[in-house]
Amino acid sequence: MSDKIPFTLNVNSREYQVSVEARQTLADVIREECGLTGTRVGCEHGVCGSCTIIVDGAPVRACLMFAVQAEGKEVRTIEGMADGEELHSVQRAFSDNHGLQCGFCTPGFIMLITAALEQNPAPTDEEIREMLSANLCRCTGYQNIFNAVKQYVGESTETTGAHKND
Amino acid sequence: MKYIEPASLPEALEILSADDEARCLAGGATLVAMLNADLVEPSTLIGLRRIDELAGISVSGDHIRIGATTTHAQIAGDDRLTGNAAVVRDAARQIAHSAIRNMGTIGGAVCHADPNADFPGALVAANAVLEAAGQSGRRQIPADEFFLDYLETSLEEDEILSAVMVPVEPVGARGRHLKFSRTHGDYATISISLVLAINSGACSHARVAVGSAGPAPVHLAEVDALLTGSDLSGETIKQAGQKLMEAADPVDDVRGSAEYRRMIIPGLLQRAVDELR
Repeated sequence: MSDKIPFTLNVNSREYQVSVEARQTLADVIREECGLTGTRVGCEHGVCGSCTIIVDGAPVRACLMFAVQAEGKEVRTIEGMADGEELHSVQRAFSDNHGLQCGFCTPGFIMLITAALEQNPAPTDEEIREMLSANLCRCTGYQNIFNAVKQYVGESTETTGAHKND
Repeated sequence: MKYIEPASLPEALEILSADDEARCLAGGATLVAMLNADLVEPSTLIGLRRIDELAGISVSGDHIRIGATTTHAQIAGDDRLTGNAAVVRDAARQIAHSAIRNMGTIGGAVCHADPNADFPGALVAANAVLEAAGQSGRRQIPADEFFLDYLETSLEEDEILSAVMVPVEPVGARGRHLKFSRTHGDYATISISLVLAINSGACSHARVAVGSAGPAPVHLAEVDALLTGSDLSGETIKQAGQKLMEAADPVDDVRGSAEYRRMIIPGLLQRAVDELR
């Protein structure tokens, strides 16, 4: 007996033909059906933020969404960030500031930060802290992640001329 | 488990009434987590995302209609929610974190009826009315009568919450949802939802509800009456806080003992009043 539902899933502008059970989460399908294992699964109840991805421009928890709910939506994961060998500026800022240790939470942070800064390109320090409080990191103590965001915000506001407001 | 995405509310209601074990899925912020933990086992999930009439916010006459599948982020970002409705917006703004607010919906949160959540108290304070759709039509349930117990509402099994209606009146009112929690983004240890209108120093309207203080929001008509018409002096607020504290019936859990939760109430009420004055 097959309760599988076939549909097209758009991840990083590529179409994946998948056939999955209704109760498979988007996180599991991205990892297992699309083979994109950069999205990490931690708590499976929306608390840790490791599975954060971007769906239709907004950061969401991939563990709290069934894959079938993502039909017709644009999904972005960590694999869609770098351009070939060239890191995305958020990734480079993490590297420059040592914003990671074990790296498990990093893809979730990168996707959270990328989506948040697309919506608000010049956050205050307070807004950055509030945003980062959504995800858990048990290694860094967050300060280097904060520094990475500051560097990225500084670079992008220089190039766009947006006002830095802190 | 089957998954169906009906295109209309009547279609969804038909599926729901034909199957006792079917559950509606809106944003998934809670239901998917419960499924991941094997706490629920629905036979069918009815995805509501294609039903246009359940989505979005509209202002019509004497109330603001918030469709059941409107996300917390949409509510937090809507500047039409002012006056009496500001308390609902303020609550939405403080639910969990951005990634959750982009997924969770007011209908899902309200129907889950977790007394530690932010919307129940805010909707009682705003005197909101919940619209339930059934196969035989729609009925309106005041927020005060909707939240019955832990995870239990007055919605019938074959009904779907279609909208939350927040009265525009009193227009000059201001609202605040004040949350006392262990850490940013956590559920409240205690929350106070307060709507106040003040005319030349005297309070002309007051409605206060306390969240995380028992199986349903704690709301006492005598406390609203005590505040209304008063000058909101420290002594009056203290009396009001005392009454709410006595009516509260919180649980002991990881977010605080029942006694601790009760003791927070008067001070938090005073703080909410100070912020709105």
